[in-house]
Amino acid sequence: MAVSTIYSTQALNSTHFFTSSSSSKQVFFYRRQTNRRFNTIITCAAQQTVVIGLAADSGCGKSTFMRRLTSVFGGAAEPPKGGNPDSNTLISDMTTVICLDDYHSLDRTGRKEKGVTALDPRANDFDLMYEQVKALKSGIAVEKPIYNHVTGLLDAPELIQPPKILVIEGLHPMFDERVRDLLDFSIYLDISNEVKFAWKIQRDMAERGHSLESIKASIEARKPDFDAFIDPQKQYADAVIEVLPTQLIPDDNEGKVLRVRLIMKEGVKYFSPVYLFDEGSTVSWIPCGRKLTCSYPGIKFNYAPDSYFDHEVSVVEMDGQFDRLDELIYVESHLSNLSTKFYGEVTQQMLKHADFPGSNNGTGLFQTIVGLKIRDLYEQLIANKETAPAEAAKA
Amino acid sequence: MATIATSLNIATQRAVITSKRQPARLACPVRLNNPWNLGSRTTNRLVSFRPVKATPEGVISDKVEKSIKDAEETCAGDPVSGECVAAWDEVEELSAAASHARDKKKDSDPLEEYCKDNPETNECRTYDN
Repeated sequence: MAVSTIYSTQALNSTHFFTSSSSSKQVFFYRRQTNRRFNTIITCAAQQTVVIGLAADSGCGKSTFMRRLTSVFGGAAEPPKGGNPDSNTLISDMTTVICLDDYHSLDRTGRKEKGVTALDPRANDFDLMYEQVKALKSGIAVEKPIYNHVTGLLDAPELIQPPKILVIEGLHPMFDERVRDLLDFSIYLDISNEVKFAWKIQRDMAERGHSLESIKASIEARKPDFDAFIDPQKQYADAVIEVLPTQLIPDDNEGKVLRVRLIMKEGVKYFSPVYLFDEGSTVSWIPCGRKLTCSYPGIKFNYAPDSYFDHEVSVVEMDGQFDRLDELIYVESHLSNLSTKFYGEVTQQMLKHADFPGSNNGTGLFQTIVGLKIRDLYEQLIANKETAPAEAAKA
Repeated sequence: MATIATSLNIATQRAVITSKRQPARLACPVRLNNPWNLGSRTTNRLVSFRPVKATPEGVISDKVEKSIKDAEETCAGDPVSGECVAAWDEVEELSAAASHARDKKKDSDPLEEYCKDNPETNECRTYDN
């Protein structure tokens, strides 16, 4: 988005580039007007890129979240046309999604030789990650390497243009402190072990060669590295979506009904947490009753302020499943601070992607809500950056 | 025009799906999907299909299977070594890639795929006005 402000000033003899304190590139154009006594200078601020970080273990719903997020902004995200078909990057009108696996410093054979997993920081080039994210944030295009998941090799780089919204998703978006400081908003998908096991079974049982034991062994083997390197990132996240087994069905081992908690950090700039009924109080709500009939096991909501890794947070929790459209709209009408542009927007977004996994429970609901919050954050950030140069001009 | 294109698509379906960027080519003689001479189609055996290459999902599935075997062998020796852990990590990575490939395949429609690359061809023309 380009912002132009027009200044009038006395004789200025040269054109030059000038970087203002709000870290935007401003270009001065000098034009001599013979019929006017003063010269007009037009300045344009380069587009501001908003950077969002999304962290989750493999197989935990990052792609679904990405599709929901890009859909909130409009348009479908697709791999870059005409490029490497195994590229992990997704580009839509407003957003570009970069997969942090592209910053692996060791390819698959390299990792096997050294005996490290992809979760290990030794397998990732954080310096390059920081350089390129910083460049994209300042509006400079970069040549980003491609990690090919099929062959396990690092392919030739692809050119990435700076987008309006840059999403970096992967295992380590918040691991490196410098990259963490570049993020405007960060999300962590925290899936409990039982749910992770159930999801991986659903994903992998259709594969030839996999058995229950191999899936279990794979999770167990990765767990130490995961707990050491990936899990600690959740303390830095602005929003954590925690997925746990349900409490509504005693001794449930199917894992179909989920309890999902949206943990939102208080005091984050441009981010106002969602609340139920009364901000800051503890509310427990079962919407099913006289006005709404739900089938077993029903829906249960909780909202409470809490403390998470020594931060003040607000937690909205949903346990259960949506069976019908009117349940969804009923719930939406009672949640506050959703940052929707019109009544029913959350429901509309959920219905648009009814075939995505999690569309009938809290995962889809909270992912959609976080998507709307990010849109709200983006609009506020842009509005703020626009007013800042104008104020500097007045001063 | 569109119906003929789709019916030709069905007749040469295998060829369309496996070929990368070539439009569906008909082997001579041209066979039209006319119901009144469907019976004669089976008698003429001059048509030969292009050989089917391994689909990308097949390639990844083979890799998954192989990597599981490798991991089990590596870990049979020493369950907590770095090699064992790296082997299972590879299994996880390939399973994720296989699942993404399956999802992509589920969504993709051969006609839409073709039209994305060749919007000017007859089958892909849209008339919106």
